[in-house]
Amino acid sequence: MSDIVLDVKNLRVEFDTYGGIVKAVRGVSFSVPRGQTLAIVGESGCGKSVTVQAIMGLIPMPPGRITSGSAKLNGQEMLGLSPKEANQFRGVEIGMIFQDPMTSLNPTMTIGDQIAETLIVHRGYTKKASAKIAVDLLDKTKIPEAAKRARQYPFEFSGGMLQRSMIAMSLACNPTVLIADEPTTALDVTIQAEILELMLELKRTEGMSIILITHDLAVVARVADDVAVMYAGQIIESGSVDQIFYESAHPYTMGLKEAMPTNKPNEERKLMPISGSPPDLFHPPAGCGYFARCPHAMDICESNQPSGFRIAADHYASCWLHHELAPEVDALHLVGDQ
Amino acid sequence: MNHSTTAFVADDFKPARVTVHAEQLSRPSLSYWQDAWIRLKKNTRAIISLYIVILLGFFTLVGPFVWTTDPTLLDLGQISQPPGFSKIALLVEPYQSWDGIILDDFPAEPDEYIEVIPPPENFRVVDSPTTQRVRLAWNPVDGAAGYNIYRHDHKPTAFNDLGLPLGSTFGGNEVSYEDRLDIDSSTYFYSIVSTDGIDESELYTVIEIKPRQIITVQAALQRGLLTAVEANTALGKEIKLEFHPLGTDALGRDMLARLMYGARVSLFIGIVAPLLFVTFGVAYGGVAGYHGGRIDALLMRFADFVVALPFLLFMILFKIAFGIGPGESGIFPMLLALVMLAWPATARLVRGQVLQIREEGYIQAARLLGARDSYLILRHIIPNTIGVILVTLTFAVPSAIFTEAFLSFIGMGVAPPTPSWGSMCNEGVKTMLSHPHELIFPALFISVTVLAFNLLGDGLTEALDSRLRSRE
Amino acid sequence: MFKYTLKRLLAGVITVWFIATATFVAMHAVPGDPLLNDKAVTPEIRRNLEEKYGLDKPVFTQYLIYMGNMLQGDFGISFTQQNRRVNDIIRDHFPVSAMLGLLAIFFATAGGIVWGALTATYRNRAPDVVIMFLVILGISVPSFVFAALGQLLLVNINSWVGYSLIPVAGWGTIRHMLMPALVLGLGTMALLTRLMRSTMLDIVNADYIRTAKAKGLSPLRIFFRHQLRNAILPVVTILGPQIAAITTGGFVVELVFAIPGLGRYFVQAVQQLDYTVIMGTTVFYGAFLVLMVITVDIIYGYIDPRVQLE
Repeated sequence: MSDIVLDVKNLRVEFDTYGGIVKAVRGVSFSVPRGQTLAIVGESGCGKSVTVQAIMGLIPMPPGRITSGSAKLNGQEMLGLSPKEANQFRGVEIGMIFQDPMTSLNPTMTIGDQIAETLIVHRGYTKKASAKIAVDLLDKTKIPEAAKRARQYPFEFSGGMLQRSMIAMSLACNPTVLIADEPTTALDVTIQAEILELMLELKRTEGMSIILITHDLAVVARVADDVAVMYAGQIIESGSVDQIFYESAHPYTMGLKEAMPTNKPNEERKLMPISGSPPDLFHPPAGCGYFARCPHAMDICESNQPSGFRIAADHYASCWLHHELAPEVDALHLVGDQ
Repeated sequence: MNHSTTAFVADDFKPARVTVHAEQLSRPSLSYWQDAWIRLKKNTRAIISLYIVILLGFFTLVGPFVWTTDPTLLDLGQISQPPGFSKIALLVEPYQSWDGIILDDFPAEPDEYIEVIPPPENFRVVDSPTTQRVRLAWNPVDGAAGYNIYRHDHKPTAFNDLGLPLGSTFGGNEVSYEDRLDIDSSTYFYSIVSTDGIDESELYTVIEIKPRQIITVQAALQRGLLTAVEANTALGKEIKLEFHPLGTDALGRDMLARLMYGARVSLFIGIVAPLLFVTFGVAYGGVAGYHGGRIDALLMRFADFVVALPFLLFMILFKIAFGIGPGESGIFPMLLALVMLAWPATARLVRGQVLQIREEGYIQAARLLGARDSYLILRHIIPNTIGVILVTLTFAVPSAIFTEAFLSFIGMGVAPPTPSWGSMCNEGVKTMLSHPHELIFPALFISVTVLAFNLLGDGLTEALDSRLRSRE
Repeated sequence: MFKYTLKRLLAGVITVWFIATATFVAMHAVPGDPLLNDKAVTPEIRRNLEEKYGLDKPVFTQYLIYMGNMLQGDFGISFTQQNRRVNDIIRDHFPVSAMLGLLAIFFATAGGIVWGALTATYRNRAPDVVIMFLVILGISVPSFVFAALGQLLLVNINSWVGYSLIPVAGWGTIRHMLMPALVLGLGTMALLTRLMRSTMLDIVNADYIRTAKAKGLSPLRIFFRHQLRNAILPVVTILGPQIAAITTGGFVVELVFAIPGLGRYFVQAVQQLDYTVIMGTTVFYGAFLVLMVITVDIIYGYIDPRVQLE
């Protein structure tokens, strides 16, 4: 394993709400090697956004609360810092882009000013110098007529252009890690491809690591090196992109794949939705979170939480089916080996 | 992590029968109004306001039957009384004039000029002081050409703090003064200074007097406090005066009774006017929004013009245009003026709502199913706008009450003697410094009413906002 | 931009025409005789007076004359002070009202923005609870009560310091203006504080604030450059109608504080049924308010880049 840039261990996050305490993230661990892309996949509400927001210190506290865990960037702890300390790495070491570029930029500030702001604050550049770099950054993210565009306001941009500007903004200080929280969800499919292409290219040229949050397996297949599948606030399977796609070891991952449309029209296959919905995180189940929806559910799953079974090198799955006493379930691999 | 430590048996790995399905609704499904009511009940401020509104309703409608004092009755014996318990008065004969004390000799001229003439000695009260009159007398001072008498409600601290100048005597030999000016049965500090005929001396003496509350037998008879039979033997006895729990105004009218009748006027305008103009606005805006196109453009352009009229100025203009005949209260002209000027806000709001709802999918769907206009309006458009209308109505009440108060305060509202909270404030502000309760009570009623309706409106807005439901 | 301004001004002129017509209609519907107030009206004097004010002509002719004069900016001659032109009255008294209103608007906006930002920052903590309680008070207590209380306060302050530190009534110096302007601005200040607070709270949760945090900006910078700036915009939008409310609300304050403004003069004119003064003042105020609303809209177009004026 090459050197680890970001190492997250046993992260737990809770929220106080009117209805009670929501345990949104329940012991998440993962690591990101230098220059690699880690995709965190899961359906909405599974805690993937909360995980990265917790690392960035973006969780409003209260009502949010990080109850345990650590997140080390190049060996330095990032959790539990004051805003001032956190700003040493936010925007500098880690850049972040968000799901909805339309609302994620300040509507009353020019694009150029918003990019330059990062440089003025972190690098101490003058207004003039930073404005020039902002234009260069826009150029780098392939925005035509960058100099003119820098003087425009967000409402004058299209969604794709805004996401490019967001990327330009997050790149301003040459971060080692770029966190992309569903960066393409709000965009047209053609624009999605362009943005992903851009991210891949920048990863190569800038040599940074990427954490990509998404619920779209097609996106994962396209850009990820490693994948972590999240369900009900936990990572239930992790491994390389090939392992996840071709040797899926968790029924949920299987289900996700079956629910994914393919572009092979002659293949006889039905889209199979996963029936039911995720457990209520006000009262997380004692056993496996997927128990109620799992076609292979066993008695043990109801009350005992499975933890990472090692399937292969760097491939782990939290499922009792991998226990030595569990019956062989062929279906698991049959569907996987398409 | 280490599974081998936990002893699992093969039985644990039998396929489970999943009975509990994850998809369970934890919250019961409620109708829009049930849901709104539940959330309104959670809002303590709104519920307290609701109770206040109900109490105000009782105060206005039931109050006059409980507190039967006539709000127009002038109790001239008890003018500008602060709130308090009922007073005991001594029954006395009618006022008999007093000649005072005028000495035959003028005070001696001192041999040399005196810089500062000393105040009189033996400054005293003659007869027992009553609320009818306070009689003062003193010894003459050499060199004085007259005396000035002052009255204050606290002990004077300095020469320039003697209080109300009551009067002067002219001539050093006139050594008495009778005060009959608006006397209460509270403690007074009378001061006297000598004058040389032109300037006042800076030396003074003070006496403290607490006059006794009295009422003449005749007045008591007139006011029905005594029967004719009792009157014969009443002289010198004590009697209970009329009770004014919130005091009286400058004309001796009972504040509580006036506040109740004032509430009728203020709340009548405050509730009826919004009902009328909101209804009109809903009809107007509904027609504009439902028809759309040219009719909409035309109607809304007119509404824009009405909005541009300076509201309070035109309230005044319309009120004088409608005219108030002698003996009329002027409530109706004010109501009419309010309705004529205040409807466009509601019309605009409802029009916007209707325009929006008209384009919704479910309306289109109902149309495709052959629903008629009347059905669409009754079944879809009205139920979907009623929440907004209710909120508008709630907020329209305080602003109508404010308008009434404002106009009555500047003397353009209801005509006296009809009391309204605003006109009571107008009268109260004149005596603000000496009798603050005459301003405070009506102002308090206006403020509490407006506050209650505002908080209720806030609560309703939150309760009816369906966006908030998902946020909980 | 120029085209937009022109269009708005044209619409404004039509609105003013409507106001003038409505005023004319309302005044001619007033029952009673406009000349009744004059003492000793012999038929001859009466004829002369009717001629002077054009009352002998048919109503429609009167309307045309009135409109014609108004187009030339002439509001006629006062009924009660027969050698005084309405224009002069407005010129003498309006600056006083405008000064008072301007200061009140200043107090209201400055206060509204500061208090609103403060309450949003300290949400549900002591400063928020205290200020919001005062805001509810400010919205619920009528302005004349504030005026009376303000005066009472001044009386006490002056008697405490021993001389007239801040005059209780009258007009002239800046010290005269402070309390009336503050009292006049209180209601609007309360309203703006509420608005400011709610937009600030909306913005705290806005996506672009999260972006700013992710960029590693200091809380102070986020507050001033991102939050405050966006929260002030809605405040500006309701400033137009609020200027109207403050200008007419000035009547009461002018009455209580004995300020020689146009509002007090208007009330006086209504009591004396001084037709020309009433009409002139109403139309003047109407035109002024229309102009204010247009001005605020245009200013808003400048500060909010999203608004495209065409």
